[in-house]
Amino acid sequence: MLPPSLNNEMNPLATLNRRRFFATGASGLGTVALAALMKDNGLLAGEVPQQLAHIAPRAKRCIYLFMEGGPSQMDLFDPKPKLNELDGQPMPESLLKDIKFAFIQKEAARLMGSPRTFKRYGECGMELSDLLPHLSTCVDDIALIRSMHCEQFNHLPGQLMMLSGSDLQGRPTLGSWLNYGLGSESQNLPGYVVLATLGRGLPGGASSWSSGFLPSQYAGTLFRNQGSPVLNLANPPEISEAAQMRSLQTINELNGLRFDQIGNPEIASRIKAYELAFRMQQTAPELLDLSGETKATLEEYGVTREEASKSNESGFQGSYARNCLLARRMVERGVRFVTLFLSTWDHHSSLDSGLNRYTKISDQPIAALLKDLKRRGLLDETLVVWGGEFGRTPLGENRANFKTVTGRDHHPYSFSMWLAGGGIKGGQVIGETDEIGWGVTKDPVHVHDLHATILHLFGLDHEKLTYRFQGRDFRLTDVSGNVVERLLA
Amino acid sequence: MIDLKYRIALTATLMYLLLASGGKSFSAEPVDFQRDVAPILHRHCLSCHNDRIRRGGLSLHSAQAADKGGESGSSIDPGDPSASYLLDLITPTDGTAEMPRDAPPLSENEIATIRRWIKAGASWPADFEIQPPVLWSLQPLQRPSVPQDIATAEQFPIRNPIDAFVAARHKLNGVKPAPQADRRTLIRRLYFDLVGLPPTPDVVEAFVSDEDPRAYERLVDDLLASPHFGERWGRYWLDLARYADSDGYLGDSIRQHAWVYREWVIDAINQDLPFNQFSIEQLAGDLLEKPTVSQKIATGFHRNTLSNTEAGVDLELYRTKEIVDRVNTTGMVWLGLTFGCAECHDHKHDPVSQKEFYQLYAFFNNANDATVTVKNQWEVTEYEQAREKWQPAYDELQTRLKEYELADLKPEQKTERDKILNGFKKASDLKRLAPFYQTKKAGWDKVNTQLGKLLETKPTPPATKAPVFTERTKDRRDTFIHVRGIYNRPGEQVKPGTPFVLPDLSSRDQTPDRLDLAQWLFQDSNPLTPRVAVNRIWQHLFGRGLVATPNDFGTKGEAPTHPLLLDWLAAEYKQRDWSRKAMIRLIVMSSTYRMSSAANASSNPRDINNLLLWRQNSFRLEAEIVRDIHLAACGLLDRTIGRRGIRPPLPAFVTDVGRSVKWPASQGSERYRRGMYIVFKRTVPYPMLMTFDAPDATVSCSRRERSNTPLQALTLLNGPMFFESAQALGRQMDEQYPDDFPAAVQTMYLRCLSRPVSEREQEFLSAAYADLLQLAETKTKDATQTDNPRLTAMVQVARIIMNLDEFITRD
Repeated sequence: MLPPSLNNEMNPLATLNRRRFFATGASGLGTVALAALMKDNGLLAGEVPQQLAHIAPRAKRCIYLFMEGGPSQMDLFDPKPKLNELDGQPMPESLLKDIKFAFIQKEAARLMGSPRTFKRYGECGMELSDLLPHLSTCVDDIALIRSMHCEQFNHLPGQLMMLSGSDLQGRPTLGSWLNYGLGSESQNLPGYVVLATLGRGLPGGASSWSSGFLPSQYAGTLFRNQGSPVLNLANPPEISEAAQMRSLQTINELNGLRFDQIGNPEIASRIKAYELAFRMQQTAPELLDLSGETKATLEEYGVTREEASKSNESGFQGSYARNCLLARRMVERGVRFVTLFLSTWDHHSSLDSGLNRYTKISDQPIAALLKDLKRRGLLDETLVVWGGEFGRTPLGENRANFKTVTGRDHHPYSFSMWLAGGGIKGGQVIGETDEIGWGVTKDPVHVHDLHATILHLFGLDHEKLTYRFQGRDFRLTDVSGNVVERLLA
Repeated sequence: MIDLKYRIALTATLMYLLLASGGKSFSAEPVDFQRDVAPILHRHCLSCHNDRIRRGGLSLHSAQAADKGGESGSSIDPGDPSASYLLDLITPTDGTAEMPRDAPPLSENEIATIRRWIKAGASWPADFEIQPPVLWSLQPLQRPSVPQDIATAEQFPIRNPIDAFVAARHKLNGVKPAPQADRRTLIRRLYFDLVGLPPTPDVVEAFVSDEDPRAYERLVDDLLASPHFGERWGRYWLDLARYADSDGYLGDSIRQHAWVYREWVIDAINQDLPFNQFSIEQLAGDLLEKPTVSQKIATGFHRNTLSNTEAGVDLELYRTKEIVDRVNTTGMVWLGLTFGCAECHDHKHDPVSQKEFYQLYAFFNNANDATVTVKNQWEVTEYEQAREKWQPAYDELQTRLKEYELADLKPEQKTERDKILNGFKKASDLKRLAPFYQTKKAGWDKVNTQLGKLLETKPTPPATKAPVFTERTKDRRDTFIHVRGIYNRPGEQVKPGTPFVLPDLSSRDQTPDRLDLAQWLFQDSNPLTPRVAVNRIWQHLFGRGLVATPNDFGTKGEAPTHPLLLDWLAAEYKQRDWSRKAMIRLIVMSSTYRMSSAANASSNPRDINNLLLWRQNSFRLEAEIVRDIHLAACGLLDRTIGRRGIRPPLPAFVTDVGRSVKWPASQGSERYRRGMYIVFKRTVPYPMLMTFDAPDATVSCSRRERSNTPLQALTLLNGPMFFESAQALGRQMDEQYPDDFPAAVQTMYLRCLSRPVSEREQEFLSAAYADLLQLAETKTKDATQTDNPRLTAMVQVARIIMNLDEFITRD
């Protein structure tokens, strides 16, 4: 005979009366443990709302489109006619003083113009490159920043800076800070999810979504976009869902007995963790099931696009489109923070073909994501951020062993990013760079400023969101950062 | 430093005055500066406004300094309180005042006293200086006397001075101690705490029925002598050492021989190398007189720092970051001070200036990265065995090669050919063999390919080189303050030196070096090192230190819950010649350690967090141990100690996120070695370890988090290694007890939980077994059909037991 619960559509674990643990356990609980218990362990939505919001929030969720490697701003977002004129000329020496490059040999370096054509789009008349035909239809929703700047000219330090506000490994990433500050809204998915479309791996690997010194429940969870989405989510092959349910029931019954006996609150926490794990097992696979999406949606994102022609790139284009669609499905289900990595824009050589390829992969799905979010009324509360760790040099890269100059080196001193939705005022360009795109000449926005603004959009004061570690109160923005008021709607 | 001693004497006088004036309330009698005002300034102002740390440019330590004022000008206008800026700052509006910052405002009486003092002319005797309050942790370490005449409660016998200190606090606070834990819990606790493995059922039963009054003591001694003790306590140390098997950052290259240091730690702890020697060798083993290889290997401690090898990086920048990490780590590990805050500016809270930070930095600025060749007999044996296995095939191929050899090879040609064969590095080397063989003859290609394959798998003799420090002798670097922490903005030049607030350093030579620094940590007058070290031992045996912030004994850290006990233990550690094992033995022999950890073992509603130690604490085991106990309980565990790391299988999507990560899964029983041997690649840390809160090895970790998450549940339920353990255990039970399910459950309980199963539990499990058996017999779409439903059901029962909270909890 099967127990009645198994013939019942109801989750058998609900038969365990969770109230019991709160009622009888309370007298024996430590306050810290009790808080942890009440908070639902941070990974999944809390029953008690977090109380850290300092300001009225505009954004509730964020999709961060991380363009690993450093996309070339003067070929995508920041037209530089003067640079084209000066193509092949040396750079003014005054600009080169005190500058460090990763690879360029300063003395022989020459400026390199862009072969792209720029046009004005939308009501706002934003200028974009011909490589972004799809994004150009969304310009009235996006705020383009042409004056981003930073100090880190190597990949990982730059990426860590952009993701965690520090060039050192071991600090919490933005998604961890937001989940730490605000908790998760999803009852059965992690609050911080990562999807990756990788040419070659990420420089920082899993440090790119690390919770650093914050407890590990605030770390990002890496999802696969096919098959079983999370590591260890699927039962072993010989265990059916019914058997899993039956086993979990007994695990929780026995844990319950133990709790009654010795009253240690961690046991109650453990019971709950197993319940949530089971809920995650049931809901996470559904996330990847696109059969409920219309053909029009799939086509708009490009999920059904023809795969890239080169054999070693098969699956690549469809994969990014799929990840963009999954990002929408995640925010719909309350995931607080989704990072989509696209690797790599590190075009030291073959810049033209590289940009061609990467914009082909990403332009259509990203535009589709913005439009889809907007149609569904999600864009208002969903912040979308696009950007890499830095931009690229107006100089062509003449690395010692390069025969020809066909690419650009890392350039953190001025680069472009854009934001949309979630309280951002669209249809505007912030900041300017000089004639050749070397430095920022107007409205500089540092990475810390960007972070301060993002936290602000979520209702958090970047100076107040702190965590004590090694005797110091750490912030995402370290010791600086100003909210960029002009970005706010 | 006569000056310092003089100041300390003054401070003592002041403390006396402070106490003497305590309890006096506001009155109309004339204000006396020394009696009335100085204690107020001392208490509220001096920690930020003293001779050394002049926050806002202001010091209030002497008449002269107070007269000078700070950046905002003079703060005291003698005779005119309303014109005195100081009063504006300290007078609260709506309950908060500008000063003291981040602290409650002064009381009305205190403010009135200062007002009266200023009005009366703000007189301040010229020779009277006020010293900043001395942080508790910096006060000299004295051995407190053990509380006497503590009435012994029946369930809490005073077994040693630890119990006397703890019982005194129980009594003072009216707290009732928990009874002693039962023997099954005790043996399990000792096994987890001392060796990190579960006791076998035989050992448990023997201990439970052992009537010898010294049974517990014998058990303790056995475990302290176990070679697994070094693994358990070594892993704690590796957290502090931010040990990993790769560089970190983008390159994240594997550190092939980092494990040599890990093995050194395990051995040193097993041999109970006194903590002072243990520390000195790690900080400066290379500078000892005629250092042994082992002492050189020990300096691998500071080679665990991350290093950035990304192409095109500013090498000097990252070299300085490594040194900054070494200074921070040294501060936290031995002194419990967070020097890191002083990298860019004077420490905001603790008495460490930026200059002092770079004086410490100077000790490490001339330590060069180097390696030392290590010879291990097991490596030689391993090589010889592999070679023996490889040789026959190669010899056979040689005879076949002979058939292709050109007829009239001269001896020197043969020598040259052999040189190519023996020096083989890559496939293209084979082309260089062409002049010696008939390469057109049929079959050559095949032989040649085979040769290539064999040469590629030819075992190489061990060449283990451990990363170590050597002191730079030529082109020594000078050290400068980095202005605002920016490495290429040198400020004032500094010499190696230790912070002013700590005892003086005596050096062997004119310029102190790393060895002097290491020895200074252990000089008798240093109060921090023993306090910090003994607190960590306590932390590992109670789940929480007497000071809850083990790396921060500064003003922002937590105060000790039992200051006298901490000092007594610290003094005892020194007296017992820094023997780690002696201290652990002392602590685990106490009644305090042996108490039950059940939250309901006694009722003390006013101390639910157990700060007064009325019970033991219960906590989830660490990541590595969670793995170890699964493997141990099912019998798969490979108990090899030390040596190279292992790579348990991982799905590609996990390793693919890093750059060119090679993760060839370990074969054979190696896969089942303890969790501490899993290769730790910083950019792709092993997911199970991270899910269970292992540190990320970026910086020193003195206290792990203990989270409790759904991902942990999924890992234990479905992770391949965990399921394999359940399968192994289930299979054994099914074979051993094909017709006796209750006996199988009993055995599993004894193996996993060290106790018999209760009747209720047996009922729950029998019901589950019946259902699972029926489910296994039923065909479903979502599971592979089993041909042995009974086994499948038993495996799942094993899986249930191995997923119980109790299994992964140290009670």
